[in-house]
Amino acid sequence: MSTLQIEDLYRSFGSLVVTQHVNLSIGAGERHVIIGPNGAGKTSLINQIGGQLRPGSGRILLDGVNIIGQAPEQVLRSGIARTFQKNNLFFNLSVIENLRLAVQARRGNGLQCFRPARSLTAIMSRAESILAQVKLDANGSRAVRELSYGEQRQLEVGLALAGDPKVLLLDEPTSGMSPAETAGMIELVRSLPRELTVVMIEHDMHVVFSLADRITVLYYGEVLATGTPQEIQDNERVREIYLGARH
Amino acid sequence: MLELDAVHSYYGDSHILQGVSFTVQEGEVVCLLGRNGAGKTTTILTVMGYITPRSGTVRYQGQAIAGLAPYQVARRGVGFVPQERGIFPSLTVRENLTVFSRQPGSALQAAGQAVKGASAPRAPWTLERVYKVFPRLHERERNLGFQLSGGEQQMLSIARALMLNPDLLVLDEPSEGLAPMIVNEIVTVLRGLKNEGLAILLVEQNLHTALALADRHHVMNKGEILFSGTSQDLERNEDVKRRYLAV
Amino acid sequence: MDIYLAQLMNGLVYGMLLFLTAAGLSLIFGLMNVVSLAHGSFFMLGAYLAFAVVRETGNYWLALLISPCLTVLVGLVVERFFMRRLYRRGHLDQVLLTFGFTFVFFDAVRSIWGSDIRKLAPPVSLEGSIALVGGMFSTYRLFLLAFGALLALILWAVMEKSRLGAMVRAGVDDSQMAAGLGANIPALFSGVFGAGVALAAIGGVVAAPVLGLYPGMDGDILIPSFIVIVIGGMGSLRGAFVGTLLVGIADAFGKAYVPALSLFLIYLLMAVFLLVRPQGLFGIKGGVAPAGMVVAARAALSATLRVKVIAALVLLALACYPLLVPDYQRTLVSEIFVFAIFAMSLDLLLGYTGLPSFGHAGFFGLGAYTVIVLGALFGLNGWTGVLIAVPLTALAAALIGFFCVRTSGITFLMLTLAFSQLLYSIAFKWRDVTGGSDGIGIPDRPNIFGWSLSEPIVMYYVTFGFCLLCYVGLRRLIASPLGHAFIGIRENESRMRAIGYSTGLYKLLSFTIGGALAGLAGGLYALFNGFVSPEVLHWSASGDILIMVMLGGAGTLLGPVLGSAIFLLMKNLVSSYNDHWMMIIGIIFIACVMFFPGGVWGILSSRIAGRKPDSPPRPGTTPAEGIASGDKAPTGAAPGASMTVDGAAR
Repeated sequence: MSTLQIEDLYRSFGSLVVTQHVNLSIGAGERHVIIGPNGAGKTSLINQIGGQLRPGSGRILLDGVNIIGQAPEQVLRSGIARTFQKNNLFFNLSVIENLRLAVQARRGNGLQCFRPARSLTAIMSRAESILAQVKLDANGSRAVRELSYGEQRQLEVGLALAGDPKVLLLDEPTSGMSPAETAGMIELVRSLPRELTVVMIEHDMHVVFSLADRITVLYYGEVLATGTPQEIQDNERVREIYLGARH
Repeated sequence: MLELDAVHSYYGDSHILQGVSFTVQEGEVVCLLGRNGAGKTTTILTVMGYITPRSGTVRYQGQAIAGLAPYQVARRGVGFVPQERGIFPSLTVRENLTVFSRQPGSALQAAGQAVKGASAPRAPWTLERVYKVFPRLHERERNLGFQLSGGEQQMLSIARALMLNPDLLVLDEPSEGLAPMIVNEIVTVLRGLKNEGLAILLVEQNLHTALALADRHHVMNKGEILFSGTSQDLERNEDVKRRYLAV
Repeated sequence: MDIYLAQLMNGLVYGMLLFLTAAGLSLIFGLMNVVSLAHGSFFMLGAYLAFAVVRETGNYWLALLISPCLTVLVGLVVERFFMRRLYRRGHLDQVLLTFGFTFVFFDAVRSIWGSDIRKLAPPVSLEGSIALVGGMFSTYRLFLLAFGALLALILWAVMEKSRLGAMVRAGVDDSQMAAGLGANIPALFSGVFGAGVALAAIGGVVAAPVLGLYPGMDGDILIPSFIVIVIGGMGSLRGAFVGTLLVGIADAFGKAYVPALSLFLIYLLMAVFLLVRPQGLFGIKGGVAPAGMVVAARAALSATLRVKVIAALVLLALACYPLLVPDYQRTLVSEIFVFAIFAMSLDLLLGYTGLPSFGHAGFFGLGAYTVIVLGALFGLNGWTGVLIAVPLTALAAALIGFFCVRTSGITFLMLTLAFSQLLYSIAFKWRDVTGGSDGIGIPDRPNIFGWSLSEPIVMYYVTFGFCLLCYVGLRRLIASPLGHAFIGIRENESRMRAIGYSTGLYKLLSFTIGGALAGLAGGLYALFNGFVSPEVLHWSASGDILIMVMLGGAGTLLGPVLGSAIFLLMKNLVSSYNDHWMMIIGIIFIACVMFFPGGVWGILSSRIAGRKPDSPPRPGTTPAEGIASGDKAPTGAAPGASMTVDGAAR
């Protein structure tokens, strides 16, 4: 059984259809990359999986359970965590405080009000280990708004990882990054535990082909093709409509 | 007619444009190319007055316009087509076109003086003429802005800018997320405008569209212009294409 | 049949009057994202200026012409020289600025025309009544209906059919884009604000013969207008029109057939609408972007010895103070302690959770009334009263919060205001229990360890103790995981949801805790004062406490304490020398909002740490992202990182 299964998903804004009967099946531990030109409906798809956008019809199954209709916080507790295309962080708080907030939500300590947050060592140490995982150990006490754009992208991933997800959704994790930072992000995604399922939107073909087990091409809200990187590269229609347009 | 010299712009604390200089001559189409986050849109927002540069000069028709409000820039004869198209959703198509329309020549009054040699006599843009160029908009005249499809929105956004009877048209990724057929239609329209002698500043990620329209190209990366040249120069330069345009 | 028609008529007339204020309010909100609390003041100003013109010239029609013109002039001054300077800051600053102006206008009207109710006669030509479809109707009321309908029609035509109206609608849709096409947005703002003021002033002029003139008529029209907007939807003219008719008719029929419940009827209407259609009937901006909340956590300062020494000295001074001064000053400082608790409780909502409540006095008043009523009617001991008051206010806060936390930003503000006004009306009308406008008192105060609270020095130490307790408790709360969750919601609610917080629940929790603490403050106030009247529940009391918080510095704990001290000392000082203390407080407050966005504590705390105060946000750097991200409101200044309390010792 696939970990994340999308069945006949449909959504429109007025006369603009952003998701046209999409079917996708993503197995456990798969690194699945979604590509497509701007406006193809990639982020709308992620928003529907993450609970930010309600689908018009269809089903989204996580380990066989339909999660449609769940609010974002319920989706996270079901085991799907996401990042955002535009950095969506707690900019006025420090990096470690950002992570601690995310960890304590997952560990159910959010309602605790008699002990200082700093003294909850389990949460602190988990936050610190994620800090190291996303390579921000040197910046723990800095305010997020003082980080570089690329470092903020790394924290985006960290916040999602703090939710201990089964499925991680990454919305253009390398957008706006320098080549060096992009290499770091590839490294980071590679270092994730193999059993974690990663669904990722990406524009940079180098990143796509470095990471993907399978690729889905979205075009006008429709799945144009799904397959291994080799299959996608060989697909005539994909070359013509998407890859070709760029060459 | 448009001249940027060593422009430095910031978003909050982050230094986005790091000394951008280029010009747009009368009747010329100039294209800014580059990846996401290269600073293309920031350049355009700086020209339009949404961002005030910290240093450097922006001149339009020989007058410094850095520090002017967007409406003052627009009234000097710059027509703006933003990336998100900026259609007013609760206005009808017709209202979108007429709400801020201006007579030809009013730009000169706004600048407070007659500019020598400016505005070669071009046929003025009226509702009739716009509808002739975009028959689709005529059909949807009474529809509200939010009821349009992506392609229709893009056409409306361009038509609306033309209704200002501008001397310079500024477009941010007009082909983004549109079907090839609609892109072709828009390219045809823009080429017609170019043949009429309208100056155009274009931001593009699609090399095809850029080569089809522009006389000169500037390739940006990290807030700097790294390559400038004609279409032929660009086509020949494999290195630039590979490194900065992901081709 | 007759009565039915007459009630319908009354409802329609009241609805028309409401429409004139609500339409302007809604228009201004739609375009500028500002709720102008001064809007009721312009209504009042219009009425009084008409009164003055009629007294001079005897000509009502002339008054209908001149008074709105003069009022618009005043309104434009407010917009151009005060509000425009704050456009780059959060909405709350602007709301508070207009609140400052309500003081100024109130005091101006009172000192020029006095506090008595005045009457303005309808024009001679409209005296008498006309027989119509089986009933006799006052000519003036019929005129009002026709006039209101005509204005509504003109307004609709201008908005929907003219190019100017299209420009305004375009500005409402996307003011950044409109600017890029040549729209002079500041001028458009001024024009719309002026038009809104004109409508309110015209409403005041035509309402005067029906409703009479009195200082306080500003609030009486403002609150129902808010309800209209909540029902009709923000920024929608059609919504305002339908909303006013609904509210007007519900009000009239309620008064006629179920007088005991008349007050609740429109609130009930509002609550139902909120549950069914939170965005209102025709709302275009259902969930207004969460108010880019205001004042963020103060800069983190290290725990220097200096800070600790100062804290110890202040505590020692406060402990010794009552031994050295007369009773009068002991009482004054006790009052400050009570209001400091109240202010801190509001700050938990406002400064830490980002919930701009404008109805917090409701819980304070509920606490106070509980203690006094139980004492007066059942002879219950004051302490038992407090013990009952706190859970009772917590319950009320949970209930009201259930409706309010579904909304955010300006809608939240208006809703909390409306609910507190509901409590005010209950206190005002339920004479048998609350004593109505006369208020109610208890014969004597309880004891503590054998000492009577009627001794000012005992009162002083009791309130001091509670204040300290609340401070320490809140400090712990804010340092706890729960407190951090509150701060996270203030900073970025959508991300909080994405990392797994049911933010609605947390906001309700914050609202309930804040309400319970306000109830405690109210209970202590009852013990302190021995008497309570509906004024403690009035919406302006909620405004006062907001002033104290903002004055001192929201998002800190010592700020509100300091703010309440400054406010009460100032009020005491000014009111003992000058009748115009409201005017003066209003002006000082306007100045504070404009020039000290971080509050007094913000400036002081950076001084103590030997740092320069945070610079205000640089102009010209924010709005660009509007086009780039579609995110309209530039967020306010956010100086300083970290979740520390007051930037003091860790």
